[in-house]
Amino acid sequence: HNTEDTSNLLQHVKFQSSNFENILTWDSRLESSPDTVYSVQYKTYGEGEWLAKEGCQRITRKSCNLTMETGNLTEFYYAQVTAIDREGQSATKMTDRFNSLQHTIIKPPDVTCIPKVRSIQMIVHPTYTPIHAKNGHRLTLEDIFQDLFYRLELHINHTYQMHLGGKQREFEFFGLTPDTEFLGTIMILVPTWSKESAPYKCRVKTLPDRTWT
Amino acid sequence: QFGPCRVEGVVLQKLWEAFRAVKDIVQAQDNITGVRLLRKEVLQNVSEAESCYLIHALLKFYLDTVFRNYRRKAAEFRILRSLSTLANNFIVIVSKLQLSQENKMFSTWESARKRFLLFQRAFKQLDREAAVTKAFGEVDILLTWMEKFQQL
Repeated sequence: HNTEDTSNLLQHVKFQSSNFENILTWDSRLESSPDTVYSVQYKTYGEGEWLAKEGCQRITRKSCNLTMETGNLTEFYYAQVTAIDREGQSATKMTDRFNSLQHTIIKPPDVTCIPKVRSIQMIVHPTYTPIHAKNGHRLTLEDIFQDLFYRLELHINHTYQMHLGGKQREFEFFGLTPDTEFLGTIMILVPTWSKESAPYKCRVKTLPDRTWT
Repeated sequence: QFGPCRVEGVVLQKLWEAFRAVKDIVQAQDNITGVRLLRKEVLQNVSEAESCYLIHALLKFYLDTVFRNYRRKAAEFRILRSLSTLANNFIVIVSKLQLSQENKMFSTWESARKRFLLFQRAFKQLDREAAVTKAFGEVDILLTWMEKFQQL
């Protein structure tokens, strides 16, 4: 069995992290390899011991949740997967060095868009992460990233948008035409870590103006 | 602001961009996953007063030992530009960190020196080339630590 065969068993072993949910994923070049089993280990960079991830030993799926094991923001981690096929061939591959602070992707924020007659209010809800503070409470993205802020756009027409931004969570676009549909987009930005979420989009229609003129 | 030292005109963002461009290449060459040079005992709970001395010692070491000895490999891996960006910015920071002798608080300096020696000792325990590669691969650890002080 040369290494070319075993590399078919296992490839692309990497962390996929979003909002600090750290999932280890991998692939196999062999289309159908239902009998291949995979076992996951992880370690903290700088420590000698590889630890077996409970619940991800001799599994057939190609992913494993390592959020709890890789949750310390100041630590760096490695994970490795060992694949064993039906004939007993095996292959082991390791991830790049991983740190969730550097690598996590920010998901779009959760926002409530509230139409009024001549304005649209946008309320950004806090995004809780799986990371806990020492006192046990769950941290939000804002807790973790001190320079996090929100950028909002309201598309008035093809050429004209209104912009708002800031660290607060409540925003309102004023001076709008009643009974008109607008597209709002809201993003999270973290300059220090050059992170930018995909936009949350809401399409809302301002209320008709029923005041007597 | 690094403790008693003020440093203007340093944009850590540029350093991060330079390092991110080469991080995976450099860290992939370091297969000693059981050793971390910039470990907790070196960087954790550093007082503001110590930080100036420690950052000065670390950056000088990176300039004089790590970047200098990594140059050939950087050329080989075509990452000289990033190495130069990092080195040039480290030179700027070191030059601006005036450690005036008068206000050197000996105990603070001594404490910072002990931390630096922990790092240097770990460096010397490895094969030279492996140590240089590992130290370069840990620039993100250094920048993360510098970031914390810059926000104070």
